[in-house]
Amino acid sequence: MAKKQLVSVKVNGRQREAAVEPRLLLVHFIRESLQLTGTHIGCDTSHCGACTVVLNGKTVKSCTMFAVQADGAEILTVEGLMSAGGQLHALQEGFKQEHGLQCGFCTPGMLMSSYVLLHDNPNPSEEEIRRGISGNLCRCTGYQNIVGAVQYAAAKPTKADAKVAEGVAK
Amino acid sequence: MIHKTSPEIGGMGHSIKRKEDLRFIQGKGNYVDDVNLPGMVYGHLVRSPYAHARLKSINTEKAKALPGVLAVITGEDLAKANLAWMPTLSYDKQMVLATGKVLFQSQEVAFVVAEDRYTAADAAELVEVEYEELPVLVDPHKAMDADAPLLREDREQKNNHIFHWEVGDRQATEEVFQKAAVKASVHAFFPRCHPAPLETCGCVADFSRATGRLTVYLTSQAPHAHRTVFALVGGIPENNIRVISPDIGGGFGNKVPVYPGYVCAIVASLTLGVPVKWIETRSENLQSTGFARDYHMTAEIAADRDGKMKALRVKTLADHGAFNAAAQPTKFPAGLFSICTGSYEYPQAFCEVDGVYTNKAPGGIAYRCSFRVTEAAYLIERAVDVLALDLKMDPAELRRKNFIPAEKFPYKSSLGWTYDSGNYEAAMDLALDKIGYKELRKEQAEKRKKGELMGIGISSFTEIVGAGPAHTFDILGIKMFDSCEIRIHPTGKAMARMGTKSQGQGHETTYAQIVAQELGIPAADVTIEEGDTDTAPYGLGTYASRSTPTSGAATAIAARKIRDKAKKIAAYLLECNENDLEWEPGKFFVKGAPSKSKTIQEIAFAAYTNIPPGLEAGLEAVDYYDPPNLTFPFGTYVCVVDIDQGTGEVKVRRFMAVDDCGNIINPMIVEGQIHGGLTEGLAIAFMQQIDYDESGNIQGGSFQDYLLPTAVETPHWETDKTCTPSPHHPFGAKGVGESPNVGSPAAFVNAVVDALSHLGVKHIDMPITPWKVWKVLQEKGVAA
Amino acid sequence: MGLKIEKTFQVQEPLEKVWAFLSDPRKVATCVPGAQITGQVDEKTYKGAIKVKVGPSVTDYNGEVQIVRLDAENHEIEILGKGQDVRGRGSASMRMTGKLRALDNGGTEVVSESEITVVGILAQMGSRVITEVSNIMFGEFTQNFQARLQQPSDAPQDQAGEAKAVDATSLAWEAAKGLFRGKSESGSSK
Repeated sequence: MAKKQLVSVKVNGRQREAAVEPRLLLVHFIRESLQLTGTHIGCDTSHCGACTVVLNGKTVKSCTMFAVQADGAEILTVEGLMSAGGQLHALQEGFKQEHGLQCGFCTPGMLMSSYVLLHDNPNPSEEEIRRGISGNLCRCTGYQNIVGAVQYAAAKPTKADAKVAEGVAK
Repeated sequence: MIHKTSPEIGGMGHSIKRKEDLRFIQGKGNYVDDVNLPGMVYGHLVRSPYAHARLKSINTEKAKALPGVLAVITGEDLAKANLAWMPTLSYDKQMVLATGKVLFQSQEVAFVVAEDRYTAADAAELVEVEYEELPVLVDPHKAMDADAPLLREDREQKNNHIFHWEVGDRQATEEVFQKAAVKASVHAFFPRCHPAPLETCGCVADFSRATGRLTVYLTSQAPHAHRTVFALVGGIPENNIRVISPDIGGGFGNKVPVYPGYVCAIVASLTLGVPVKWIETRSENLQSTGFARDYHMTAEIAADRDGKMKALRVKTLADHGAFNAAAQPTKFPAGLFSICTGSYEYPQAFCEVDGVYTNKAPGGIAYRCSFRVTEAAYLIERAVDVLALDLKMDPAELRRKNFIPAEKFPYKSSLGWTYDSGNYEAAMDLALDKIGYKELRKEQAEKRKKGELMGIGISSFTEIVGAGPAHTFDILGIKMFDSCEIRIHPTGKAMARMGTKSQGQGHETTYAQIVAQELGIPAADVTIEEGDTDTAPYGLGTYASRSTPTSGAATAIAARKIRDKAKKIAAYLLECNENDLEWEPGKFFVKGAPSKSKTIQEIAFAAYTNIPPGLEAGLEAVDYYDPPNLTFPFGTYVCVVDIDQGTGEVKVRRFMAVDDCGNIINPMIVEGQIHGGLTEGLAIAFMQQIDYDESGNIQGGSFQDYLLPTAVETPHWETDKTCTPSPHHPFGAKGVGESPNVGSPAAFVNAVVDALSHLGVKHIDMPITPWKVWKVLQEKGVAA
Repeated sequence: MGLKIEKTFQVQEPLEKVWAFLSDPRKVATCVPGAQITGQVDEKTYKGAIKVKVGPSVTDYNGEVQIVRLDAENHEIEILGKGQDVRGRGSASMRMTGKLRALDNGGTEVVSESEITVVGILAQMGSRVITEVSNIMFGEFTQNFQARLQQPSDAPQDQAGEAKAVDATSLAWEAAKGLFRGKSESGSSK
């Protein structure tokens, strides 16, 4: 077994570190060493995107990186989207309002990809949204409402006031 | 007639937002791989590279010697505890770990347990297995040849035949064919595909030496059934087993069978006394777990020259892989395939199915459909289109001519099913109208003159879901009822538990809405729980679109039992006779004096604080619902495609889905299901196949080759509905989660064939890849 | 996974010299990257081994090479090689025919046809990887073949030494590049 190396990262605003084998995948580091299980594993060939996190401002499939490669980086996972005071991010709100999830397994990856998409392109067309999340597979929704969710978040400032929330809102 | 409740109550028909979303959007779902228990260790399977081989020896010494490895279990070890084989859900048996021979590539051969998953994977590489290759059988058509290799030496019957099943009147059907003016036939292969839910299968088996209980966190669509199977197979008392299906990342039928990995993890935990986690990789999931379809089908229709269909004859060869691990009700080895008469009247029909073994992964499961219903719907919708071509009739008109008329329901088909209700023409007309059918046909005629290729495909499917009545349906002997238990708290809030298990269908919301509808308690105040066998009432789980028809019905009936008791309490509180009371959602009031009323919340409080003499305290009920019949959702899908003559690529220009599932609980959730199912149908029609080469090597064993559509390939889906309630269901609902996967493959294929039919093309098998289309274009001389 | 590969190449050596080399499995094995002859079972059958490395994973195949047909008159040879992965992760077999033809310039043309069957983990990667890897291995083979032919005949050629593993990672990289370059040699797969 190779000697463990210290990996130090800033995750969701907090400094975290652990000693890991060089071959430990970043996704396992996040899920097991840091116990942030919102990031999921859905495949073994880098196709599905369920493991998507934001690393130094860019989306990364954390199953295709080693934890040691992330040393010194700033990482945002789905757990970091909500505000410290417990307010949902516009995207999270959008996914709920627009029924952008069913089983929820692809959702963290979708949220992180959309997060960077909207950061880089605050007013995307439907085609740009579809292309932006094309690295994230979903089996339940057929993507249509996910597109709606991203559009909701993109329009958020105007939607918050006008929307009359029907039914169960917590 | 369902009275709509207010939005505050959120009963049936309201698109209330989902309650379960809150944890998922925060990444706080609790899926099996998120379960972390103190002292937990990891399992990894060693798998066979060969499709058919004798197992000569397994050397586990090097693996055991690796630091961090706790155990290496082989078939021989399991055989000592009589666990090397386990029963399947089809009364066959399946090897847990190989003994004697292996029968499909990727078959489970040994189970390594180690302190972390990397060490377990390392150790699996160190297990040395010696095989002697045997001749491989991958063509099901050759399975019954005299010189075919014998796969299942463990059976008494020494051949590769599993079952022969037939239904209908062979002789009478033959007679109609003899006299028929027109006979159309199609040979349609429904390729082997795989549900590939985004979360793979896995478990954490936790046997506690402290309590003597085994807890299994399991990706299971049917936790109670699995608990019973574990008890029977493992000899563990059922009260000492707890199966917990936490959040499940998609099932689609893939999570119905019991897999060797589960059994190995349980054995390892029992032996080591620590929790053992086993989570399969995606490749393992695609290569060894429940596949779907793989039906080679021929349909023949006998008709008059004016298009009136007279008889249907169907013959099918079913490829089950190495073990018949199909999840089917006992009496139906080919599931509900005899729904292949579809939406049409056939005075005579006959259907036969033969199942055979091959050196492929075992199965098959019902992938987002009721048992074998997709195969049936695909076949009949293709056959009807072929008949339309032969008769030079418009496919919509041919269907209209032969639909079971709305007034004939309940309708008994000549293959024995009593369809509860239907109005096929209304659904088709709505779909045709919304897609602009007439204009599209005009456009197609114009385009054909210019040599351009566009097609319109119609699929008017009927499916059969909600298995099923106890007199006919059971799985491994357990009847297919389902259940609900509701408890109202003193402050008027409620909790309800069911025997089903959502994997994304939104039960935490929809079941709450049923309670809201029946009792007037706001859906927000009703907590729904499923999946823990220690607390939920016994049920057969969620698959085959059965939750709403069975547990949904049980929920309504249980709620009505509560309402009956509530009425007594209300009468007591209002000091009147029960017969003087009327109900509106949320309250009882005195007839003619509406101000004299008691809300359900006040009644609930009284059930604990002011109990009428002679009545028990509390306000709860349980119901085990035995459905009197299945339900028959239906619809018409219309697909418009354009074919790129340079590349053979098929572009779906529009897709209109009109579904009829009776009364709807949550329209938003139904629409989401339709989107998802259509996307799966798109993938099956155009992109996916699990295939095997002549050596039994799996092609399509990872996402590199088994393609899932992304948001880019997926078109915009248009949806609408008609509503023909089920006459026998407590609130007229039918179930709908799977209709889109059932009805859409035919719509896609019919559209492509329609685009090429003027060139003489009658059928193209799925998956319709650009390569296949390009070859046809070349052949017909219309390639760009 | 069944593949057919046809290759034709020329060497600037006389026919009889080429024939003598080609009909001796021990000599031919020295040209196959990563292979060695480890023993002889009988007149026509030899034990062989080949190491193939794909990324971090090394596959050792052990098996037999058999001369099925040796036609000295027409200068045709048919050999059958079969091997199993020692760790039980698959097998491979190859049936190869080689035909020699004298050229006007004093050289020899070698026409070979091979049928390759792969079973197991490697086969799951699909024919595209296997075809390209086979093409590249054959390319190395022909280079080695020509080089060895030109060596003096008493050079230590058939030593059973530690055969260097064929590094299929670099082969696969070559293969990937090849896919974009376009096939320059004939080769077909089923």
